[in-house]
Amino acid sequence: MSGAANRRLQKELADMRASGLRSFRDIEVDDRNILIWSGSICPDNPPYSKGAFRIEIIFPAEYPFKPPKIAFKTKIYHPNIDEKGQVCLPIISAENWKPATKTDQVIQALVALVNEPEPEHPLRAELAEEYLKDRKKFMKNAEEFTRKHSEKRHD
Amino acid sequence: MSFIINFIRAVLDAMLELFSFGRKGISNKLPIFVKTNTGKQISLNLDPEWNISNVKRLVAPSLGISPDEVKIIFAGKELEDCTRISECDLGTQSVLHAVKSRSRSEIETKSKKCLETLFDDENVGDVPSKPLSSTLVDLQLKGEERRDSESNIKAKAHFFVHCPECKKLCRGKLRVRCNICKGGCFTVHRDPECWDDVLVPKKIQGHCESKEIACMSDEENGLPFAEFYFKCAEHGSGGEKDYAAPLTLIKMNLKKVPCLACGDISDPVLVFPCVAGHTSCLDCFKLYCISRLQERQFISHREFGYTLACPVNCENSFIQEIHHFKLLEKDYYDRYQQFGAEEFVLQSGGVLCPQPNCGMGILVDENCNRVHCQNGCNFVFCKICKQGYHIGDCLPESAISNNMSVSEFSVNPSRVAGARWDEASKIAIQVTTKPCPKCRTATERAGGCMHMACTRAGCNFEWCWICQTEWTRDCMAAHWFG
Repeated sequence: MSGAANRRLQKELADMRASGLRSFRDIEVDDRNILIWSGSICPDNPPYSKGAFRIEIIFPAEYPFKPPKIAFKTKIYHPNIDEKGQVCLPIISAENWKPATKTDQVIQALVALVNEPEPEHPLRAELAEEYLKDRKKFMKNAEEFTRKHSEKRHD
Repeated sequence: MSFIINFIRAVLDAMLELFSFGRKGISNKLPIFVKTNTGKQISLNLDPEWNISNVKRLVAPSLGISPDEVKIIFAGKELEDCTRISECDLGTQSVLHAVKSRSRSEIETKSKKCLETLFDDENVGDVPSKPLSSTLVDLQLKGEERRDSESNIKAKAHFFVHCPECKKLCRGKLRVRCNICKGGCFTVHRDPECWDDVLVPKKIQGHCESKEIACMSDEENGLPFAEFYFKCAEHGSGGEKDYAAPLTLIKMNLKKVPCLACGDISDPVLVFPCVAGHTSCLDCFKLYCISRLQERQFISHREFGYTLACPVNCENSFIQEIHHFKLLEKDYYDRYQQFGAEEFVLQSGGVLCPQPNCGMGILVDENCNRVHCQNGCNFVFCKICKQGYHIGDCLPESAISNNMSVSEFSVNPSRVAGARWDEASKIAIQVTTKPCPKCRTATERAGGCMHMACTRAGCNFEWCWICQTEWTRDCMAAHWFG
């Protein structure tokens, strides 16, 4: 790992822990490898507002010149997040990535996407269709899925 | 009796020491050369505490004139009598120029000016007597910034160069010479105020006194132009042919701007030539170059060469002076040069020799498919399939490799084992990749949708993984996600 990535991540982690984001909690980072972070996303909007979702953020050694990757460790019923936990977030795509983008901006973009699904750019076409055509059914399914699979929230 | 003689001698010595600079103990000797316009060169040891009038007194006898008539020129400026040596930005073995003043009146105004400045210390900024680099407040700063920085101790101009001798980033010094005779005995008519004044030729005129007859140009008023160049300030001057490339984007971080990547405030920094002036520390700049280099994402720019833009992708932010990439360690710089040359060959319609460990760039005749690696390994190959040259159509790739392993089996079994390994990876590549329909770069799809964008710099072709043609709305409708 380069010194630049290490210095930058130390700083971002300290800032993030100090600011205490409500929507991203329980940040855990291995002392030996600062390139992998994990934490819990706590969305505000139903059908996800009752659960917490573990995510993993993996930073490349060339960070911040290459974007981090995000993976959901908790299963989630969402048109933009697939069964493997992959998510398509424009802010961290290779074309859009800017080295000045901070991890807390990435998290905020992710939380916004969870709160407001974008069925126009789905990773799971069947959920996008359900979301657009039968919102009630989608909400019911998603709420049930959240209850079954998501982590407890401590608020 | 003898003690009286000793006493008198001691008194005399003390008096001599008071009045003579020659006897004064020189603490920090500065060896320099003085050149005259008659071709003489005198070497001197100067004390930084002396001023220019001391130098004149030392030089005058060699010129055969009185000290009043001597004019000392250094780095584009005539130095005044009261200027101290330590203020002159002279380095070890720097060359001062000494010439005879042209007229009597010049001498008078000169000594008068010197007296004025002695009593008027507050106007030091306007005195044209100090050399270029001292009167020049940082070229990097403009207007207000310049005023702000005057209170700063570092207000003295700071230039950075890549020194070919020290092989690293060094502090640089600005020097000037005549654009006609290339002589350094040259005085400028005005100070340069911006990088353009220095880097663009024929911006500032001046007087050349390098030869006994002044140089004249063909321009309207006949005066020659100043030609600016940079030297390394960290090793002793290696004469007039010791140049260094100026790194115009490296600046002192007077405004304490944090690095766009790591967020640290360091000094010096690299400021990208975009409107926003995005700033990076040198470590992060190197990291940026290396990560872009490893993905071959440098761009062959028509004017500037193989270069990079600001990491934030600002418009018109390409690094113009490619010497900045010399900041990379040697291995990476070598790779930079190799990739740059290859990209140039490919863009001019050439091919690269396919032999392992060769890779020579060859410019080819458009109508002929037979390519001879003339300056490299002498391999003769087909321009289209990159295999050994053949008559008739190219064979499919699998047929060729089969032929090869069969024919070599009886010759050298150990090499066949190697060939099988290659075969295995070849198959793996064939199975996992598809070529970009435009530039043929083997592409792996690691996940996500079927919309592919070629990552090779300069191609960026958008294509469909299934159709292997350009990405269309139909692809989006029919099989965007598989």
